[in-house]
Amino acid sequence: MPNEAIVSATNVTRVFGEGDASVKALDDVSLEFPEGRFTAIMGPSGSGKSTLMHLLAGLDRPTVGGVEIDGVALNDLDDGKLTEVRRDKVGFIFQFFNLLPVLTAEENIVLPLSLAGRKPHRKRFDELVEAVGLSDRVSHRPAELSGGQQQRVAVARALLSEPAVVFADEPTGNLDSKSSEEILALLRTAVDDYGQSVVMVTHDANAAATADRVVVLVDGRIVRDEPATSPEQVLDLMKQPA
Amino acid sequence: MTSIALRNLWARKLRTVLTALAIVLGVMMIAGTYVFTDTIDQAFDEIFTESNKGIDAVVTSKQAVKTDDAQDPPISASLLPEVRSTEGVAAAAGGIFDPQVAIIDKDGDPIGGNGAPSFGSSAQPRRFETLDYEGRAPRTANEVAIDKTAADKAGFELGDRVTVAGKESARPYRLVGFASIGDVDSFGGASIAVFTLPQAQLITGKQGEFDQIAVAADDDTTPGQLAANLTQVLPKNVEAETGEENTQSQKDDVGEFIGFLKTALLVFAGVALFVASFLIFNTFSITVAQRTREFAMLRTLGANRRQIVRSVALEALLIGFAASVIGLLLGIAFASAISSLFKATGIDLPSAGNVIGVRTVILSLAVGTVLTVVAALVPALRATRVEPVEGLREGIVVEAPGTKRLRTAIAVALTGLGLIAMLGGVFGVIGGSGAAWVGIGAGAMFLGVALLSPRLVRPLASLVGLPLERTRGVAGRLARENSVRNPGRTAATAAALMIGLALVSFVAIFAAGIRGSIDDAIDKTLGGDLILGSTDGFSDIPLTPVKAVEGVDGVAVASPYRYTQYASPDGDGYLSLVAPATAADVLKLDWRQGSDQTLTDLGPTEAVLDEKFADKRKLEVGDAFTVTTVSGRKINYTATGTFKDNTDFIGDYAASDVNARAYGEGQTTTSIFIKLDEGADTDAVRSGIDEQLKPFPTIKVQNQQELKDSISSQLNTLLGVIYALLALAVIVSLFGIVNTLALSIYERTRELGLLRAVGMSRRQTRQIVRYEAVITALIGAVLGLVLGVVFAITISRPLADEGFTLTIPVGSLLLLMVLAAAAGVVAAIGPARRASRLDVLEALSYE
Ligand SMILES: Nc1ncnc2c1ncn2[C@@H]1O[C@H](COP(=O)(O)OP(=O)(O)OP(=O)(O)O)[C@@H](O)[C@H]1O
Ligand SMILES: [Mg+2]
Repeated sequence: MPNEAIVSATNVTRVFGEGDASVKALDDVSLEFPEGRFTAIMGPSGSGKSTLMHLLAGLDRPTVGGVEIDGVALNDLDDGKLTEVRRDKVGFIFQFFNLLPVLTAEENIVLPLSLAGRKPHRKRFDELVEAVGLSDRVSHRPAELSGGQQQRVAVARALLSEPAVVFADEPTGNLDSKSSEEILALLRTAVDDYGQSVVMVTHDANAAATADRVVVLVDGRIVRDEPATSPEQVLDLMKQPA
Repeated sequence: MTSIALRNLWARKLRTVLTALAIVLGVMMIAGTYVFTDTIDQAFDEIFTESNKGIDAVVTSKQAVKTDDAQDPPISASLLPEVRSTEGVAAAAGGIFDPQVAIIDKDGDPIGGNGAPSFGSSAQPRRFETLDYEGRAPRTANEVAIDKTAADKAGFELGDRVTVAGKESARPYRLVGFASIGDVDSFGGASIAVFTLPQAQLITGKQGEFDQIAVAADDDTTPGQLAANLTQVLPKNVEAETGEENTQSQKDDVGEFIGFLKTALLVFAGVALFVASFLIFNTFSITVAQRTREFAMLRTLGANRRQIVRSVALEALLIGFAASVIGLLLGIAFASAISSLFKATGIDLPSAGNVIGVRTVILSLAVGTVLTVVAALVPALRATRVEPVEGLREGIVVEAPGTKRLRTAIAVALTGLGLIAMLGGVFGVIGGSGAAWVGIGAGAMFLGVALLSPRLVRPLASLVGLPLERTRGVAGRLARENSVRNPGRTAATAAALMIGLALVSFVAIFAAGIRGSIDDAIDKTLGGDLILGSTDGFSDIPLTPVKAVEGVDGVAVASPYRYTQYASPDGDGYLSLVAPATAADVLKLDWRQGSDQTLTDLGPTEAVLDEKFADKRKLEVGDAFTVTTVSGRKINYTATGTFKDNTDFIGDYAASDVNARAYGEGQTTTSIFIKLDEGADTDAVRSGIDEQLKPFPTIKVQNQQELKDSISSQLNTLLGVIYALLALAVIVSLFGIVNTLALSIYERTRELGLLRAVGMSRRQTRQIVRYEAVITALIGAVLGLVLGVVFAITISRPLADEGFTLTIPVGSLLLLMVLAAAAGVVAAIGPARRASRLDVLEALSYE
């Protein structure tokens, strides 16, 4: 059932602060992410993209509404269980500061597995490191890697445990265009070749065009939700909100 | 800039509080020490001043040997008429004041004990009476007055029958009064029993003798004149002092003891402050590093270097002063705690309300404040080196390799010089006080090793961290990595703990050595089966029971044995007085020249010598040497044999006890050694002896093992006090761990957020922090134990040929390691909680 929803948000609202100072970052959003698809979330700054991603990933809890990952309703979970969901079912790629400086690239990649007390699948690890082009770099520490290489380490980490879903918050935001392309290609391959589900927040139309689907947020609401075809089409979507 | 300093303090409350706490504890200890010793000082002052009230001159014997117990031998009562007829004397009265008279409680045990003297004294004629009585003074031979504290302890009321034990069999008296002196609410643990003069002489075995004669001058004579007149007419072995002089010399005697106590306590306070200064230094180093950006920003905005140093120094000044004030206030309360600590171990000291001197206040505030500012100065100066552009970079302080090499050189030099100073002090080759040099040496070594320790952090962290990593997986791994991330920081934190642990392990090793050598001495030298000694473990016991005990069925020999002191122009020393006829049965000597028969044949002026003494004095068998005894008598001994005193049990020589009186031990003895008949039933003999000792409640019977155990338990009591005082330094260093962890966590907020996001549980977060604390603590423990062993080896060197065998108590040291690790766990509780409670999202977006 390739089109079964692996992540879903139902009537999610997130309010920050209280009273007059309160901000409604998300306003009654419902979304489903089918398995094995690559979704891009776009929208102007402050529109609630990161907030949505944090809710979907179990890093934050909605004020109203519910989130489900791989059949598990996050609302019912305590901190310990939620942590396990993040560890076992979710992969993360942040814009920067993805890696622990004291660990080598290899240790960073296997970190979620180590935290679970598990050993990585050796073949999968080698394949992945090969794919992200870091075979000769695994014993280096983050400080000894370039920004693009660091980001590729983060991608490898997110993919290694074959999580139900990978969330990426502006993973290319800090990179030059060549490095960006490499990262996007890696994510695309993961979706195409391994059936990985990926949700990516981005400001970049080119990046969004790599995805299968584009969701556009404005002021905490979904204004567009369409298949992605080309950078031009994505830019159009952004320019003329429905 | 002032307001920035203030706001910094407020913004980082936890750090401020922890830094301040370290100083608070150190200052508290200093203030407490002064208040405590001043209070004792004043109480003794009052006791002595009161006790010489109305007395213009005091006649006592001259002390020919400066003995450990500072007890003058008695003077003959026949001097009294002479004194009375001396010019300028209006009145004179002889009195007894003897420190070895025990009041027996209702269970038959002596009250007090454990070091504090229990006095037996004579009631004085009204004009010389210095005690106040609730009830009245004793008037007949079977009446007694005792001090209120002793009475309360035992639950005695006026009219009760109270048993008192002196040199003769204990006897009952009727309690007719509670004696007190001045406003002193306690004599310390000391108790006093007052009798009529003849009864006091009888019970102390001083018939026909006085301890002193109190003299009042007539109207035309000054005390000084009176003392001079008396000195002129009295024999050479007697001295006359004015009342004031006598008060002063008594004060001086206890002053020496209080001074020693004060120094000892101040040393412990100094250690705590030394440790605290590490903490202050470290805290300021970390916060200055963390604030590099802030300083750079301020510099860009036009703040000059001096303003930045001033801002950091001001912060230190504020913390230091506030903490010192709190420390001072707590110190006043702490004085009572020290007093209770001593009381709990049986060392009761007199008190008369807390004495808070101006000196105490000024010193406490100054030490705490200055120390804080000085310790913060290096980091503050480092802050000035921040260039405005550094605000754009991450605030990592990189040390130039040059300074690193210099630092190592200084560290090694300090450690080496420290060891040399210590050795010099131990062997007395450097001038001045040996103890001071040892202290300076230890301080230098601590600093040296602390400076060196950043280099040791990585290997040590691997050593102690690898097991954690093996068994605890990624949490252990991260903890180890975190601990070596900033070796200087971990090193300073661990070094603080190192100091406390080095001292604790040194004391433990040294104590084990002492215990071992005492056991050894008893095993090797003592041939007797049973030992009679004082219940308090060190007072003398009456000689009277020897005969009775000898008569018990199964007792082969009861041999009195005295350990006492002599003086000589070539140096003072200790000796043993033995009963020649029986000594060979109860003492095993390792003869070089002579045999047990030599001991048996020992004449009144013959002695057998420890070969070390013989070598030192270049004496051969047949040579003569002269000593002066406590009573001032000179005895010319002829050496008849030599032995090797492996364990320094005998002292310089052993001589016959026929001269015991000359040594001031006429009716007392240190111990009585008992040899049983072959095949005698020990239990039966013991109960026979116990029966005979009923009238002597201050004597207890022990076999060799019991003797060892009781000495060991006295040692343990002392150790307990030392450990309790060292604990403070250790606690300060634990604050250091808390502080460093808290600051490091604050620095790593984002990392923690990331870890939590990718699936680290709260439990694992706590583990990381906890293991880091454990690793730091263990690094401190390893360094501390190594230094402790080095100290013990160094300092015990000169004792090696006195039977001190250094044994490393591996079990105790391992236990210390475990305790250190446990302390790390405790120190990590707070920071670990904080780390695990971090909100993931907030942490992730933390700048
Ligand atoms: N912790 C918070 N407290 C208060 N308000 C918040 C918090 N986090 C987000 N907001 C507010 O919620 C709204 C949505 O923020 P969010 O970070 O989701 O935007 P975004 O779409 O990711 O923006 P950008 O493209 O700049 O990253 C904004 O108005 C923001 O100010
Ligand atoms: Mg965002």
